[in-house]
Amino acid sequence: MATKKEEKQFEKERKAAIKARHKRMKEEGLEKYLTPEQIRYNRNKAIVGSVWPIFRFLILFGLCFVILYPLIYMISTAFRPNEQMNDPSVIWLPKSFTLDNIKQTWKVMKFEETILTTLRMNVIASILQVITCAITGYGFARFQFKFKGLLFAIVVMMIIVPPQIITIPLYMQFRFFFGSTSISLIDTGWAMYMPAMFANGLRAGLFIFIFRQFFRGLPKELEDAAYLDGCGPFKTFLVIMVPNARTAFLTVFLFSIVWYWNDFYVSSSFFNNTHTVSLMLKNLGAQLSVDLFNNQTPSARQLIVWLEAGCVLSITPLLVMYIFLQRYFIEGIERSGITGM
Amino acid sequence: MSEFEKDLLEQEDEAKEALEEAEDAVTEQAEDAVREAEDEAAEAAEEAAEELVEAAEEAEELSVIPEETVQELAEIPDDEPESSSVRSGKAAKGARISYERKKRLYGYGFIALWFVGTVYFFLYPLIVSLVYSFHKTTVGTSGMELSDRGFDNYIRAFRRDPNYTKALVDTLSNTALKTPLILVFSIFIAVILNQKFRGRTFARAVFFLPVIIATGPVIDIITGNMSTSGTSGTAEQFSTLFEANLVDELLNFLGIYNISERLTEIINTLTSDIFNLVWNSGIQILLFLSALQGIPFSAKEAAQMEGATGWEYFWKITIPYISPQILTCLVYTVVDSFVDPGNQVMEIVLSKASNWEHGYMAAMAWAYFAIIGIALAIIVAIVNKFVYYEVE
Repeated sequence: MATKKEEKQFEKERKAAIKARHKRMKEEGLEKYLTPEQIRYNRNKAIVGSVWPIFRFLILFGLCFVILYPLIYMISTAFRPNEQMNDPSVIWLPKSFTLDNIKQTWKVMKFEETILTTLRMNVIASILQVITCAITGYGFARFQFKFKGLLFAIVVMMIIVPPQIITIPLYMQFRFFFGSTSISLIDTGWAMYMPAMFANGLRAGLFIFIFRQFFRGLPKELEDAAYLDGCGPFKTFLVIMVPNARTAFLTVFLFSIVWYWNDFYVSSSFFNNTHTVSLMLKNLGAQLSVDLFNNQTPSARQLIVWLEAGCVLSITPLLVMYIFLQRYFIEGIERSGITGM
Repeated sequence: MSEFEKDLLEQEDEAKEALEEAEDAVTEQAEDAVREAEDEAAEAAEEAAEELVEAAEEAEELSVIPEETVQELAEIPDDEPESSSVRSGKAAKGARISYERKKRLYGYGFIALWFVGTVYFFLYPLIVSLVYSFHKTTVGTSGMELSDRGFDNYIRAFRRDPNYTKALVDTLSNTALKTPLILVFSIFIAVILNQKFRGRTFARAVFFLPVIIATGPVIDIITGNMSTSGTSGTAEQFSTLFEANLVDELLNFLGIYNISERLTEIINTLTSDIFNLVWNSGIQILLFLSALQGIPFSAKEAAQMEGATGWEYFWKITIPYISPQILTCLVYTVVDSFVDPGNQVMEIVLSKASNWEHGYMAAMAWAYFAIIGIALAIIVAIVNKFVYYEVE
């Protein structure tokens, strides 16, 4: 075996040799060696090969700009004094930077309390959800039992049915938990934890699906070896499968965190006084007009700096996480192989 | 050594290398095939074993009475050794069955948690909302109070409500327009992102950014359709960024005056569409990228040997290989756009929820859901005919 360095060296030499040969062939006249079709093919390939990277760069640059534009705009707006919003001479770079918007928005959103609540609920719910979805996915991937097809159809239905349909009955379920009028889960974290604990949290169907596909892709020999050594199925799952599924766990956990963080539909239905980041951001406009404008209704134009500051505050944690763990978002999905539907 | 001889030697070397590579590829493929065949065989064996076990169980059930009679008969002292051997055989068989049964029970064990949760948090509410849709609901102190309405809610939605049908048609046609656009665009981007170039990691990271941001309320502020305001959000600003002063001037310079307004309009819609397109296709790009990486290298090599152009390669190799993924993405895109709380039908449905007309809301949602289901079934049935599944 050649080392990587040597392989690189070989590659270099090979390329040089091919180049030299091409040069020689050109000097002697290509017709001697190649058919006209081959010559045409090579020429076209060379032309495309030199023009395409430029096009590719232009396309990607333009589209990256489309994606990054709102973020750049957000940052540019959030850190400028409000007066400079209406200054026509300021487009991207404000004349002076200020942290006032951020500070005021921080206060209006009660940000320390909000972010702690959100983090606590998201992390607990996501961990529960990942564990239960993995167990369920494994059950669907490796065991044969009656009604498996029917049960899996229910999982697919969980993906397709919009949560809005079942929100009201679900509210009743939480309000009168197991038919009792005294236990109400509304406005407590349990409204999030309970479904997550039973593999029915946000987008649980999709996660079960991902886990099923992932476990099906792992070789069966792993488990057979464990069974032969006398492990029961649960122990096999814990000791053999879980360590092998690390990437899938991480990916699902990350997506789960992101979706819980961003969710405002479910949380706005079940929480009145529990503040999560996305709820606070959703209501930021109304809250601002109470706190900063003495109950007048300012136009969104006036509010924009604070709104954008709120955006900056609420996506910064996600962005930081994304920058550090970006690899796992992308690789995890690629490897977990939703490919074989 | 003459030039020609050198050439020959070089070519020989190259040929050897190519051969080696080909051999490697072949062995890899063969290994893969063997592994898959093994898997399949194992599965088949398992299934067969299960069938056997089931058959054995049935047989056992059937043979319970005769065996008992046999045992009764066997209590005659003469046949004692035989009966004991029967018993021991039966015991061994029983143990095996219980192991298989155990495994099946473990299967139920693994999904039990989910099943309980689904019945309580998904199926029951689903059925309740179906019941609501046939009733008029009022909120009482200890739950919903229902009074029977029959199909009245549904009739009201389709016949009397001026907004619902219109919103439904709009949403359906909007989805029908948007879905192919998103699919084509995300295949295109995925193919680009799958090539090797400098800064690829950065480009990928940027293109998946919408996945993180676009599901939250931040996107509402960015695109400016917050319910509280008629603000011009970024999407609009983005298109005004390109508002065609430049195009205008260019056309005026060329001496063309009349069409510029029309052109401006087109450019505006196009740019804001690009914004929505890019921001809505993060997951699809991710899925296609993973599919593209699943294309075996041998296929690419073969295509190159045959002298396929990029265009031919795309249509004859790429598209067939990722076609299962196209179906997945199609379903995902359609569902995503139907379920989006921002679309017109959802807005109407949700507004009814905040008006406490839950029965009516449930009827609208169920009608909508039924239409989605039928549409999806038709789409999947049609597209599935064109999907190429690799069978080895």
